[in-house]
Amino acid sequence: MNKFHPSLRECAIAATAFKLLLFPAYKSTDFEVHRNWLAITHSLPVKEWYYEKTSEWTLDYPPFFAAFEWILSQVAQFFDPAMLDVKNLGYDSVQTVYFQRLSVMFTELLLVYALQKFINTSPESSKRSAHAVALSILLSPGFLIIDHIHFQYNGFLYGILILSMILARSPSTRLYSGFLFAALLCFKHIYLYLAPAYFVFLLRVYCLGDSVFQIRFANVVKLGVGIVGIFAAAFGPFVYWGQIPQLLSRLFPFSRGLCHAYWAPNIWAIYSFIDRVLIIVAPRLGLTINQEALTSVTRGLVGDTTFALLPEITPRTTFLLTLFFQILPLIKLWANPTYETFLGAIILCGYASFLFGWHVHEKAILLVIIPFSLLALKDRRYLGAFRPLAVAGHVSLFPLLFTAPEFLIKTVYTIAWLIVFLTAFDALVPPVAANIRRFLLDRFTILFIVVAIPLIAYTSLFHKVLFGERYEFLPLMFTSSYSAVGVVGSWVGFCWLYFTT
Amino acid sequence: MPSPQQGAYKPRMKKPKATRSVSFSLPALPFPLASFLHPLRSASSQWLVLPVLLMVSILFRWAVGLGPYSEGNIGMAAPPMHGDFEAQRHWMEVTTNLPVKEWYWHDLEWWGLDYPPLTAYHSWLLGIMCGFTLDYVTGVIRLTKMWFSGGMINPDWFALIESRGLDDVKLKTFMRATALASELLTYVPAVVIFVRVFGRQADLSKYDKGVALAAILMQPALMIIDHGHFQYNSVMLGFTLLAVDFFITDHIYWGSFFFVLSLSFKQMALYYAPVIFAYLLGLCVHTNINIPRLVLLGATVVISFGLVFAPLAVLGGKEQIAQCLFRVFPFARGLWEDKVANFWCAANVLVKFRERFDSGMLQKASLVATLAAILPPCLILFFNPQKRLLPLGLAACAWGFFMFSFQVHEKSVLLPLVPTTLVLAGSLDKNTVSWVSWMNNVAMFSMWPLLRRDGLQLQYTVLTLLYAWLMGTFEHLPEHWFGKLVHVGSYIAILATHFSEAFLFEGLLQKYPDLWVVANVEISFGCFTVAWIWVLWRLWKESRKGKKKPKRE
Repeated sequence: MNKFHPSLRECAIAATAFKLLLFPAYKSTDFEVHRNWLAITHSLPVKEWYYEKTSEWTLDYPPFFAAFEWILSQVAQFFDPAMLDVKNLGYDSVQTVYFQRLSVMFTELLLVYALQKFINTSPESSKRSAHAVALSILLSPGFLIIDHIHFQYNGFLYGILILSMILARSPSTRLYSGFLFAALLCFKHIYLYLAPAYFVFLLRVYCLGDSVFQIRFANVVKLGVGIVGIFAAAFGPFVYWGQIPQLLSRLFPFSRGLCHAYWAPNIWAIYSFIDRVLIIVAPRLGLTINQEALTSVTRGLVGDTTFALLPEITPRTTFLLTLFFQILPLIKLWANPTYETFLGAIILCGYASFLFGWHVHEKAILLVIIPFSLLALKDRRYLGAFRPLAVAGHVSLFPLLFTAPEFLIKTVYTIAWLIVFLTAFDALVPPVAANIRRFLLDRFTILFIVVAIPLIAYTSLFHKVLFGERYEFLPLMFTSSYSAVGVVGSWVGFCWLYFTT
Repeated sequence: MPSPQQGAYKPRMKKPKATRSVSFSLPALPFPLASFLHPLRSASSQWLVLPVLLMVSILFRWAVGLGPYSEGNIGMAAPPMHGDFEAQRHWMEVTTNLPVKEWYWHDLEWWGLDYPPLTAYHSWLLGIMCGFTLDYVTGVIRLTKMWFSGGMINPDWFALIESRGLDDVKLKTFMRATALASELLTYVPAVVIFVRVFGRQADLSKYDKGVALAAILMQPALMIIDHGHFQYNSVMLGFTLLAVDFFITDHIYWGSFFFVLSLSFKQMALYYAPVIFAYLLGLCVHTNINIPRLVLLGATVVISFGLVFAPLAVLGGKEQIAQCLFRVFPFARGLWEDKVANFWCAANVLVKFRERFDSGMLQKASLVATLAAILPPCLILFFNPQKRLLPLGLAACAWGFFMFSFQVHEKSVLLPLVPTTLVLAGSLDKNTVSWVSWMNNVAMFSMWPLLRRDGLQLQYTVLTLLYAWLMGTFEHLPEHWFGKLVHVGSYIAILATHFSEAFLFEGLLQKYPDLWVVANVEISFGCFTVAWIWVLWRLWKESRKGKKKPKRE
């Protein structure tokens, strides 16, 4: 019997019960997106998967995910064949909802498995904290909001990511870690953001010996053949049919704007916020304003953002910045290729792409939160950096659910999660010597967390009372700017830890 | 100040520490609910128990509320009358639009108001509040308009006549919010206080008290009726519980006041009245006769009722009280309406009561049977007016009413069920947990025909299985062989009924359309009989035990 209570299994059962009750809840267009993909993969030959465009929600995930949808569709036909019709746009019969929602919960079992594995493989001394971390990931409000209400399949994808991160721990399984990660990339290409850390780590510890010049050819061949094989399995047919340019244009749509319709809490949110403030201040300073900009930003359209005063940002700038902030931690990983540095490098790669990337979705914050959770209980300083991220990252997901019935679910669930797990982490985390603790930063964190309460109250209640339907971008702007401060703060804190220890 | 319970209460100092219940002996044999609270057992994290439990109960209640309500969403196209949801909404419409003197008279065919005045005031208050709140949800433009126009413009949802049968997501959200808020203001604090005080008096450890609180708050039947089907039972139950809270802390006058509030919220609280009367009377005559106390109690009750009815009489005229009482006690109705798992309905398979006897005869018969059924708990409470017998006494009396009285609804099973579950706050041993969770499971099953009509199949399945699992139903059975037999037998029967209803005998159903409902009634009736006897037996045993030493396992 498990030593710690409640066990992962018990939490999974209780969470499943709660998620089942959420079946009638709001679902976003992503629900229709995935239904459409079920229809495409089920009713069309593979050759046409990436050309089909009856619905505006075309297939824009890599081939493994398409294959995954195809497998699901084999089961779906027993629930309701009508959902598998490409022309049946916006179809959401009860059976369709039940099937799609159930498929999310069923595939999430992979995450449960990965977390159990994570507990089992962690050293005896830290099993207790590993257990708490595993529960926090399983019950994460991120998955609840994004997967089970908004609708996506992040649960099992993060299950694969965590499995691959666990396999990287022991030298004997590193090969499979690489394979799993390659497969993950063929499911969803957003994980490319984390790929540099994997690349450097596997190259350094698996392909090279103790010295950089000692190349282990057998390992290189094994890893190379395996990864090429996986990519060939995914993309081979499309290479053969000459569809790669079409496929790539679907996977990487560069025509989108710098900020998503709702700003993800990153550097560009702060940048835009400053720009907005400058619009008000500019006349007093005698600066000229770009008139075009006044109608831009979070009008609900995915398009180009124009700035009134600050210089424009090009995709090239964001790319270079991302690359720069990814390379810094990679240099340290190259020099000091331990497992913990590797985890840190993954986290920092996630941070860099989230903070500086082009057209980042708020959902991508999971790329940082989930890997960071695995390291958060290393010692008190790590937890200190994790806390604002946990608060800001989850609060920034709130605008995803804007309907009245879901308001209570998202806020109460998130607050409950934060209270339970931040307290539990606080009790479990090993202490550090008193002189390293940063008194001021801790106070700042507490202040930051406290500010969240009036912020949520304002954005969800008082704004409408004060302004009605006017200035509807204000609450969104406040949420993302606030969250951006938290994410950037935790990034700075974690960078400092990463480079000094 | 003399305690009203001489002899019943001994100083706690002399008690040896009670043996720890099964839930504390982790990790050997925990039921999952206890396991969830295990990390919070240390003194430093004790403060988390209450907020976390509250948040979890809010989440589950609200999640249930996302589903359909009484014949609203699912059967929207067909039924002309809708269900309790429409009734509650309609009362808000009536009370906010009409002068008081028309409340109990307005178009009685369409969900005429037939609850006591406190429900009417409650509806009025919610209707008025919605003038503000709801407009906020729909968009504040209307709210500002309302302010500027200087008066309280009733939103369309409660516009007289036109709003009938309205079905709107935002209206639903508002109504769900009122049910949740009403429960959070009455039932939940009452339960929290009850577990704290009663648990302390029964010498439960802090951890066990947390587990008992969780078990009571997560009770599925009340949750699915109030937040799924839609009613405000928790307000009535909450007032009764508050009354019990005051009784067990020796404030009998406040207790009587709150019980009167409960009665004047929903007449269903009458199920508890005899036993509370017996208890209070017992306190007045036990050991030595205390006439002043009796007079004061009587005065409290009269004044409380006076306070509740005063607005109605003052604003609407005296004849309103008569009409209200006439509406509240519908003696003109039949022995039962829907199939319900009580004696009359269950025995109807053998004896067609309604055909063989006239209505007056049946009324008398049910009155006699009910009186006989509630006499034992009343006598026990009268001769042993002890605090710790209250939950069992209430439960036994309510079971008696449920089994034999007139005009019982399937939802009425909440009345015996809630105090039965409260027993957990007194003892959390394996036997009690097993019996109480069994009764909750069976009660859920007995409401299945109703919940299926509402379209709450998903919520029914999830909540029943979740609670059964949380309470360890699948792992623990009672110690006695008879208990084991009853539990296993009833679970098999329940599963068989559900299974065959879902997959088998479609042809048979054409011939006997009520087959599954009748099967449900018979199974539930059998179980409820056992439950009633268990509660009575337990009450008897507890009252004996109290003679010698304080109760413990």
